[in-house]
Amino acid sequence: MSSFKRAPVPGEHTRLHVLASLRATQIIESKPVLPAELIATILDYLAVPDLFSFARTSKRMQEMVYDDTRWIQRLKSMGCWNEAEARQRFEEAMRRKREAQRAKEAEEARSTSAGLNGSGNGISSGGGGEREISVTLFDASWEEEKQYKSLGRAARPRRSTLDRGFDAMTLSPNGSSGSGESFSLDPILTLKVLARVRSIRGLARQEYGKVYGALAPYYFDLARSRSHTDPILFRTYRDPEQQAQMLAQLKIFAKSDFSQGWNLREERLDSMIGIFENAVLREFEQGYESNDIDGRMKRYAHVLVTLNGGSAGIDTYIHNHPLMVNREKLGDPLECLRDTAPGHVSLQPSHDFFLGLATAVNEQALVIDRAFPPTVDVLLPFVDRVGEDIVSEYITTLFDEAHERGVEVYLKAVSGVFEQGLQFAHSLTPAKGSKANFPEEVFRIVTRSFEPHVDLYLQEELDFFKRKSDAEVEAWEKRLSDEEQSTESFFMANVNRQAVKRDFLTSFKKVVMMPVNVLPTISTPFGTSKSAAVPPVVNGEHLEPPTSRSGTPIPGERSASPRPQAPTSELAAKAAIMNSRLEGIRSLFSIEVALNLIHRAKSSLERAALFVKLGGQSGEESREQCENIFISLLQILGNRHIKTGFDKAVNHLSAYNPREVGDHSREGVEPLVTFLELVNVGDLIQQMVDVFYLQELVAPKLTDRDDFLSPAVKEKKRFEQMLDERVAAGLNKGIDVLMDEVEYICATTQLPMDFNPAPGPDGVVQIMDIGASHTATKVVHIVSSHTSMLVGSTDKNMLDVFNQEVGLRLFTALCKHLKRQRISVDGAVKLISDMNTYHAYITTLKNKSLTQYFSALRELSQIYLISPDHAKEIATIIADSDRYYGIFRAEEVYEFAERRADWFVVKREIEKALYGFGCVVM
Amino acid sequence: MAAASTSAVDPAKKMIMLTTSDNIDIKVEREVAERSILIKNLLEDLGSEGDEPIPIPNVNEAVMKKVLEWCEQHRKDPPATQDDDSDSRKKSTDIDEWDQKFMQVDQEMLFEIILAANYLDIKALLDVGCKTVANMIKGKSPDEIRKTFNIQNDFTPEEEDQIRRENEWAEDR
Repeated sequence: MSSFKRAPVPGEHTRLHVLASLRATQIIESKPVLPAELIATILDYLAVPDLFSFARTSKRMQEMVYDDTRWIQRLKSMGCWNEAEARQRFEEAMRRKREAQRAKEAEEARSTSAGLNGSGNGISSGGGGEREISVTLFDASWEEEKQYKSLGRAARPRRSTLDRGFDAMTLSPNGSSGSGESFSLDPILTLKVLARVRSIRGLARQEYGKVYGALAPYYFDLARSRSHTDPILFRTYRDPEQQAQMLAQLKIFAKSDFSQGWNLREERLDSMIGIFENAVLREFEQGYESNDIDGRMKRYAHVLVTLNGGSAGIDTYIHNHPLMVNREKLGDPLECLRDTAPGHVSLQPSHDFFLGLATAVNEQALVIDRAFPPTVDVLLPFVDRVGEDIVSEYITTLFDEAHERGVEVYLKAVSGVFEQGLQFAHSLTPAKGSKANFPEEVFRIVTRSFEPHVDLYLQEELDFFKRKSDAEVEAWEKRLSDEEQSTESFFMANVNRQAVKRDFLTSFKKVVMMPVNVLPTISTPFGTSKSAAVPPVVNGEHLEPPTSRSGTPIPGERSASPRPQAPTSELAAKAAIMNSRLEGIRSLFSIEVALNLIHRAKSSLERAALFVKLGGQSGEESREQCENIFISLLQILGNRHIKTGFDKAVNHLSAYNPREVGDHSREGVEPLVTFLELVNVGDLIQQMVDVFYLQELVAPKLTDRDDFLSPAVKEKKRFEQMLDERVAAGLNKGIDVLMDEVEYICATTQLPMDFNPAPGPDGVVQIMDIGASHTATKVVHIVSSHTSMLVGSTDKNMLDVFNQEVGLRLFTALCKHLKRQRISVDGAVKLISDMNTYHAYITTLKNKSLTQYFSALRELSQIYLISPDHAKEIATIIADSDRYYGIFRAEEVYEFAERRADWFVVKREIEKALYGFGCVVM
Repeated sequence: MAAASTSAVDPAKKMIMLTTSDNIDIKVEREVAERSILIKNLLEDLGSEGDEPIPIPNVNEAVMKKVLEWCEQHRKDPPATQDDDSDSRKKSTDIDEWDQKFMQVDQEMLFEIILAANYLDIKALLDVGCKTVANMIKGKSPDEIRKTFNIQNDFTPEEEDQIRRENEWAEDR
């Protein structure tokens, strides 16, 4: 299989010839024979003409040169080979071949002299028309034939139109085109030669040949020429459109030039294209300057696009655009800060700015549609440039200035202008050349100009919120300590707490759901409406002398907030009412402060949340910052405000000593009432926070409520836990205090006469009233009023525990109290009715074990009713522990029995009955 | 050998021994020899000892020396990229001056170098060799090519003319 055969006769040549000497040595060595693969590698480096010289040396070489893959590779390098198309053609050919095969068989039956033609490479020699049958052998030759015919017919008549200069250049002056292939040398056809390349297996060489034949003369000529006037290309084609097209084709063709020196040739081509491009560009610019949109601008834009996609033209267009040159016309960013109240920013000028910009850009889209072909996207780079140069500059100036004026101005400006920027992005209409993702791209451009400001903004937003909230809490604390009010209590008597709270929460929800619409009006609604509605309330409340507190604030509040225009003010009014009702705890913490903090957090959040739309890293950062705002809200509200309030209340509770309080006429233990109200308010605030969390963070997907690792969720849990702990601690103290009070009442109000009435003048005890004693009513009242305060404000479990504890402690207190009394048979009636009162109250708590205790107490009280005559019966009752549900042992009951007024009379009898009977039994 | 065992300096500088087809031993620095992927892989397979001479049965001493000369010159070149299916035009960069001079040998030697480079798997050298051959072919007539490469013409004059006419489009310059 050696391709380089040994020379047949050794020593044939003399040593005069260099090559001959080479060969001579080679022969002696009889060695170097390059294998086919190496020859193929060498062929890769050969220029096209050399390839065919090589092909002519022997059949084997011809085969290697003609190898289809070699030519397919060249077509591929120009991007002219379509594998799918080739496959489709191949399959079609196969089908045709099969059909023809059948036809041929039929033909062969008649004549055997049909298929003699068709060499191995599918070359058809001669243009004879009697090929119908032979076609069947090689589909490639069939294709070739077809193409040859059509091309030949199309091309030949036009040859006369060839330019003189071009004709001279055509280096295949072989006029005998009768048997050779014909190439489209027509300049008009040449213009499209690349587009007409077909992907046919087996014909790649021919297809490449067409391209080569058409373009190579121009290409090599161009590579050789010295100046731009030289190349035939520019002489053949006078039209700039055609010149551009040819140059573009040559640029592609150069890619299939593998042989040495290609880089030099390509360089020359590039520089020529550069010269051409500059010339066209100048024309384009002139057209641009004279505003000749449909004339020169359009024409040269098309030329540029044909040449190389038109990027240079687009650049020039954008760069020289009047919008870029005199951008000041659109508006001065500092307008927004002129003539505004401190802390405010006027967004009208920036609104106008964006509006003007959008109009200008949309107008431009129309111009672009007219001047540029729809295949290129000019508008997007244009908008890109607008975003970079105009929008960025505008907002940077504005934001820098705003930042100097103050943080609040800055925050409002950033979020407001950002919103406007997004609207601007939406208001742009795509041009014809724009791609489908134009809106997203524009959005990206606009957001990109904002991105540099986002970090600073978010940081400032959080700082601002923290600072303001801190200041608010501090101011409140300061005011409190300044006023040094006596903490007189006033509690929500006769008010249905649940209903009030629900009502309050509803309006709170309404407000929270109302969007902070930064754009149309001026600044945040909370800033204005709150300052309008709430401060008067604050004044009305806190500047009033504390003495006139009871009842007065409510009507005052109603008149102070008569504006029903927005739910905000409605909420404010309700907050005021609530506040006045909760005046008792205002020394501890204020719902109004909590509301303000939440409002502040809301406006901050809504401003910051806008930036979440940015997506990507900035979006993620702003999302985190939103969570951070929420977290600091909870921290400030929880730790600084509520916690201290609770701690203070608990301290008050533990310091309470009923004996030191002179005035017991009022119902309720004051610090406990205060505390219970506190629990109520704490619960209310917690619910507010919850609503806020759902509405502001979960609904806009700023945080995932199921993500237990989310810092916001964790902080919220911690907040709730803190609240629960405080409540629990306070309740513990509260019970002590309550019991102290109960004992105090028992000790001070229970008259000895109650259960041991003195006999009347007639010796008969006058039972004036068989109802419960004053003490019992009072105790029940005080206990029930406190326990009921908790209903609906704390956790059900906690309430149960609380009730149980209260009940048990009440039980012990009552037992202790009972043992201090002396009870006569006549007084027993009163005692039993007392016990019934207690029992009736305890049953309302719906706590089974507790009820048993009081039932036992009720049973116990019956031992006083039995007359001394039936001492034995008394003993039976004492010993009957089933009666008392196992709560009292006999010894304990015995102790109670000792409190009978006639104890010493019956003692012996009873003891006898108790122990004596027992002895007998034993 | 002594040098090989004592030089703990640098494994790249370590000397290894190659045995050519005519049984001549050539000592060469390992780094130089490893320009050849074949030798490199062999050394790696054998382990780091390398004390034994490596037989190169397809290359004689004269050619081996020539090849090693090239390797010496190009010892610091970056290793050839394995993906040779990359853009084919990258191959046809011009031959540098040293290589041009290096390739000024008689044709037999040129072919031997190409064969050796192919066998030893030294891609860059193979490329240079093939390019040199391509340059030799450039602009020659079929007859001249036949003479140069000692190819026997098995075409009839008609057949040869047929090929020429078929590819008329390429005739240029």
